[in-house]
Amino acid sequence: MSKLKYVLKKELKETFRDKKSLAMMLVIPIMIPIILIFMSYIFDTTIDKDINSYNKIGFSYNMSVEEYEISNKMNINVIKADKEELEQKLSNGEIYAYIIKDNNKYTVVANSSENSAYANSLAKQYLETYKEYLSSNYLVEHSIEPNEVINIIEIDNEIKESDNFMSQYVISYSFLFIIMAITVSATYPATDATAGEKERGTLETLLTFPIKSRDIILGKYLSVSLSSIITGLVSLLLTDVTLMFLPKMFKTYENMSLGFNSNMILLSTLIIIAFSMFISGLTIAIASKSKTFKEAQSSLTPLNFISFFPGMIAYFANINSSVVISLIPFLNYSLIFTDVANNNVNVLEISLMLLSTFVLTSIILFIIIKQYKSEKVLFNS
Amino acid sequence: MIKVENVYKEFIKSDKNNKNVKFYADDDISFTAKEGTIVGILGPNGAGKTTLLRMLAGILEPTKGNVTIDDLSYKTSELDIKKRIAYLSGNTKLYNHLSPYELFMMCAEFYEVDKNQAKKRIQELSSELKMDAFLYNRIEKLSTGQMQRVNIARCMIHDPKIYILDEATSGLDIIASQIILDFIKKEKEKGKLIIYSTHYMEEAENICDNVIMINKGKIIKEGSPVSINNDLNTTNLRDAFFKLIKEEVNYE
Repeated sequence: MSKLKYVLKKELKETFRDKKSLAMMLVIPIMIPIILIFMSYIFDTTIDKDINSYNKIGFSYNMSVEEYEISNKMNINVIKADKEELEQKLSNGEIYAYIIKDNNKYTVVANSSENSAYANSLAKQYLETYKEYLSSNYLVEHSIEPNEVINIIEIDNEIKESDNFMSQYVISYSFLFIIMAITVSATYPATDATAGEKERGTLETLLTFPIKSRDIILGKYLSVSLSSIITGLVSLLLTDVTLMFLPKMFKTYENMSLGFNSNMILLSTLIIIAFSMFISGLTIAIASKSKTFKEAQSSLTPLNFISFFPGMIAYFANINSSVVISLIPFLNYSLIFTDVANNNVNVLEISLMLLSTFVLTSIILFIIIKQYKSEKVLFNS
Repeated sequence: MIKVENVYKEFIKSDKNNKNVKFYADDDISFTAKEGTIVGILGPNGAGKTTLLRMLAGILEPTKGNVTIDDLSYKTSELDIKKRIAYLSGNTKLYNHLSPYELFMMCAEFYEVDKNQAKKRIQELSSELKMDAFLYNRIEKLSTGQMQRVNIARCMIHDPKIYILDEATSGLDIIASQIILDFIKKEKEKGKLIIYSTHYMEEAENICDNVIMINKGKIIKEGSPVSINNDLNTTNLRDAFFKLIKEEVNYE
C-alpha cells in the first residue's frame, strides 16, 4: 500500500506550521503590488514631469520681442548672460541648457543630467516654434498662405490600448515577478524538506519507516509544489487587483483597462501550475544534494536569477515565443505569459510547454528518487 | 532473529595527500541474535558500530554479505522487515512542529497500524511513559527527558519484534539514560530482541546477555559478559576490551 498520502500529510503539516515557510508563501506575493505601484509612480513622474523643474534656459544673445513672447508662451524661464557665464551656470545647475547664436545658426548646449535632457528638448521645441514663426512671416511677406506650406500634410497619432508600451511593459513585468515569487517561495520548503531534514537528523528516522523512497520524494515534491502553486495564485490575484486599480491611480494608464479577463486568468493559472511543478522538482533536486540548510540556500540562490533573467532578456531583445522556445524551460513560461497577456494565445505552444514541463519534471523526479537510495546523498560520506 | 553473515561495508575517505582511498567500516562481520536477548555491540568511536546498526535497520546496504531478519532479506522484503523493527539512535531527532500524539499517529500510519488500535496504544504508552501532561504540546517545547520518552514511545507504537538502538544513551543525563535502560529491560522481558550499541562498557555489562566487541570494523570478541571476563581473566568488560586491543593502543 502506498504511503504517499501519509508522507504528504506530514510534509504539509511541517510546511504550514512553519512560520518562515508561511511567510515565504504569502509575504512574497505582497511585494508584487508594491513593486508595480512603485514602477507606475516612476513612469508617471517621468512622463508628467513638472516643467518648472527644468525650464531655466540660458540665452547668450539679445532676444527679439517675438522670441520673448514665444518663450513666455512655452513657460521658459529666460536667463540672459554671456556664453562663459552660462557655461558656469550650467555646470552649477543654475540653468539646465543654454542657446548660443552665430548668425543664423543656433546651438543648444546641455549636459547629461535628467533635467538637462528635458531642458534640451524644450529648447529645441522653442527653436522649432521660432523657426515656424519666421517661416510664416516670410511666406506672408511673399503673399503665400503659410498653412498651405507648413501644414501641407497632416500628422495624427493614435495609440491603441493593447499596443501601449507602458501597459505591455507593466503586464510583462508583473508576470516575471510572479515567476520570481514562485521560485523564491519554492526554495524555502524544498530546502527544509531535504537538506533541513538531513541537518535536523529526522531523515534517518524517516528512512527506517517501511516507506518506499519513491513515496518519500513524491510526498516532499507534492508538498513543495502545493505551496508554490499557492504563492503563484496569490501573486496572480494580487497582480490582477493591482492592475485593475493602476489606471485609477496613475495618468500613465489613463483610459486603459489592465486587469485580466477570465480566459487570461485560466491560462495564467495553467502556466503557474506548470511552472510550480517544474521549479519544485528542480529545487528539491538541488537542495537534496546539500549537507546543510545554509549550503542548500546558497546552491539555490542562482535559481532565483535564472528564473527571472531569461524572460527579461527576451522581453528587451524582443524575442517572441515560438515552437522551439516553448520547449525551453524558464523562457517558455515568461514568453507564453506575455502572449496570454496580449490575448495572443497559441494552443500548440501552450501544449508543448506543458509537455516539456511534464518530461523535464519526470526526469528530475526519477533522478532524485535514485539519489535517495544513494548513501552519498543521505549521509554525505 | 537477526542473522548477519560475512558482512562488509566499504566507504571512501581522503588520505593525507587528499587522494580517495577505500576502507572497510565493517570487515567480515558475522553473528546471530535471538529473541528475548539484549545483544550489546561494543567498541570505541569509529569502530563501525553505527554502520553495522544502520545496515541492520536497512538504512545502508552491505557492500558484501547478507543481513536477514526472520529469514527475510532486505533485497527482497525491505518493507516487511522494516515493519518488524524499530530504530533509535542518539542522533534521532523528532519533528518539532508536531505534537507527540500527531507523531505517534503518523508512525502508526507508516507502520499500517489500525487507527483505533493506534489510539488505544497511544493511551497505553502515554500512561506507561508518563506523557499525558504533554501529549498534545508541540515537540519543540518539550524538555530533553520528555523528548526521549516520546522517542521511545514512537519506536513502540507498532509493537516491533526487534529494537535497534544506536548509542541511545549517549549525551543524556543520568535520569534520561535510566528511562532508556528501563525500557530495554522491560522489552526484553516481553521476549523482544534488542541490539544495543554503546561505548559505555559498564552500562553494557549490566544489561546485555551477549556482547560483540568491535574494533576497526572487525569483531574481536563475542560472548556473554561473564564468559568474556572468564576467557580473558578480567573482572570487567573495560579491562577485557583493553586487553584485547593492547597491541594496537599507543599509550604515549
